Amino acid sequence: MLANASPTGAPVIETRGLTKVYPNSVGGVPVLAGVDMSIGHGEIVALRGPSGSGKSTLLNILGCLDRPTRGAYVLGGSDVSALTREEQAWVRLHYIGFIFQSFHLLGHATALENVTLPLHYAGVPRAKGEQIGRDLLSRVGLSHRHEHFPTQLSGGERQRVAIARALTGRPPVVLADEPTGALDTKTGAEIMRLLLELRDERKTSIILVTHDPEVANYADRQIFLRDGRVVDRSEVPDGARS
Amino acid sequence: MALGPETWRLAFKLVVRQPGRSALTMLGLAIGVGAFIAMVSFGEGARRSVVAQFEVLGTNLIKLQTFNPGSNPRPAVPLTDADVRFIQREATTVARVLPVARRNAAVAFGGEQRATWINGVAPGYLGLHSWELEGGGNFDQTDLDERAKVCVLGQSNVRALFGDRDPLGETVTLAGTMPCRVVGVLSEKGFSTNGNDLDDIALVPYTTYNANLTDRATYAYVEVEPTNKALVDAARDELTGILRRAHGLEGDDPNDFVASSPLEVIRAADRTARILGTLLASIAAVSLLVGGIGIMNIQLVSVAERTEEIGVRAAIGASPAQILTQFLVEGLILTLIGTLAGVTLGIVVATVVAESMGWPRVISPSGVGLSATFGVAVGLLFGYLPARRAALLDPIHALRRE
Repeated sequence: MLANASPTGAPVIETRGLTKVYPNSVGGVPVLAGVDMSIGHGEIVALRGPSGSGKSTLLNILGCLDRPTRGAYVLGGSDVSALTREEQAWVRLHYIGFIFQSFHLLGHATALENVTLPLHYAGVPRAKGEQIGRDLLSRVGLSHRHEHFPTQLSGGERQRVAIARALTGRPPVVLADEPTGALDTKTGAEIMRLLLELRDERKTSIILVTHDPEVANYADRQIFLRDGRVVDRSEVPDGARS
Repeated sequence: MALGPETWRLAFKLVVRQPGRSALTMLGLAIGVGAFIAMVSFGEGARRSVVAQFEVLGTNLIKLQTFNPGSNPRPAVPLTDADVRFIQREATTVARVLPVARRNAAVAFGGEQRATWINGVAPGYLGLHSWELEGGGNFDQTDLDERAKVCVLGQSNVRALFGDRDPLGETVTLAGTMPCRVVGVLSEKGFSTNGNDLDDIALVPYTTYNANLTDRATYAYVEVEPTNKALVDAARDELTGILRRAHGLEGDDPNDFVASSPLEVIRAADRTARILGTLLASIAAVSLLVGGIGIMNIQLVSVAERTEEIGVRAAIGASPAQILTQFLVEGLILTLIGTLAGVTLGIVVATVVAESMGWPRVISPSGVGLSATFGVAVGLLFGYLPARRAALLDPIHALRRE
């Protein structure tokens, strides 16, 4: 369906004139008004902008959870802007990892079960999936927490499980929505360092939505959104820059 | 993924995770399936019990009686000796023909006299009507052929005429004219359901009766036994044809006789019992349906509660079809366990009730199979809606809810 992402030149993500208009939005004001952006392999990009700037909508479209009203979204060389729900699910499964502010782990499943969940949906045999999951949990520093349930883990540990889960399918893109938002500064910094390491090891592109300028500084590049458009950093007032 | 063992394992884990909730979900279906099995069993048990009671009457007898339909201008033609001989000669499906002549007349002994029912019968009459002999013997074919003046007395006559004396070998006078030797005494039968004294009876060979106790050889009724039980209907048809010819009836002429069989009564009772059984099963089917709705309700609540989980699974890459499958399998596991519990419940209830009511415990594999199939179908049907709702959840909204 999608060509394998080439490790060289071509961007892993490219959008052209991405527009989103909700049918019930006041006066037909678009939430996204023509977003052009390009993200390369292994690049970490921070997506910033004030509330209502369209960050969440853009992230949903990039994550194939939503579709643009107009415009093109090219992921790994293929246009994915008009897929069916089943096709979107397939793209999410193989091309995208999600990391959320509130972790969104399954409470009744162990750390290992949470991590191997994408492999279950991808049809990877259980034994092999568990091997991959154990290796990844060890990599994020949770070798002794495989059988723990989320409630038995600290916030930082939970986010590590979530990161491992986002990476099990070896997706070329990870979307992280405020990954440190629920963590204290020190733990947040640890999580960011872990993400940087994993990017270096796996050449995964990471798109990071954050309010925190310090967190944004971990990124290679920052993209500012305002009123549904990509703008220059200087156009966002400091107070609203977040 | 489809329906691999992993899907079943995960779904089973989810079912076990909330045992109380799962049990509650299954309860309605289990009761529905159980009720269905029990009701079908009650119906069948009651039916067999009723039929068994009627079968005591002798299912394979055909009774021929004279009958004048209101529309028939001709007077009723009594069944005659000629009819009996004609049947004996023509019929191929008939083993025995037993005519019964009957009148109310006096029986007298030693100055005592009373009115009784005198029946002219064949020797086989006793066996057919479950009469036992208390003393002496029955008259036999020779007595019949020779028109012997012998009789067998019922208890009411014995008590009234002989008191404590032994009647065997004594000679009584029937209808004031015919002396008759007492060869046997019947055991007491008591009263019939409509209050007749069954023991107020005297039996003589029908040939003797025709020769001495009546001026025309006609019969109150003729009982016919077919060569085997399966031939009751065929024999009835054949007898009808023979009697119509004997009576010279043609074309559309109505019958001037009735050929009836206890089998008809049994069939009527059987039909009634079947209707009752169907009614019971229908009520149970409604409870099964309600059980299915119970599954749907609780699964809908479950989907609502697990919105975040569904959103996470979708974001991770579970397709709508996979989520649908997961909930369907969950529903199927609940349904299967519920149905199994229902089958057990139904068999237990059916057994207990059958024992306390004293009718046969009838649990037909087809009845159990039907209700189990129905139960699983209902569970799947009502499990589908919640599963579909889960599959159609928008992951964006599902994840936003916190």
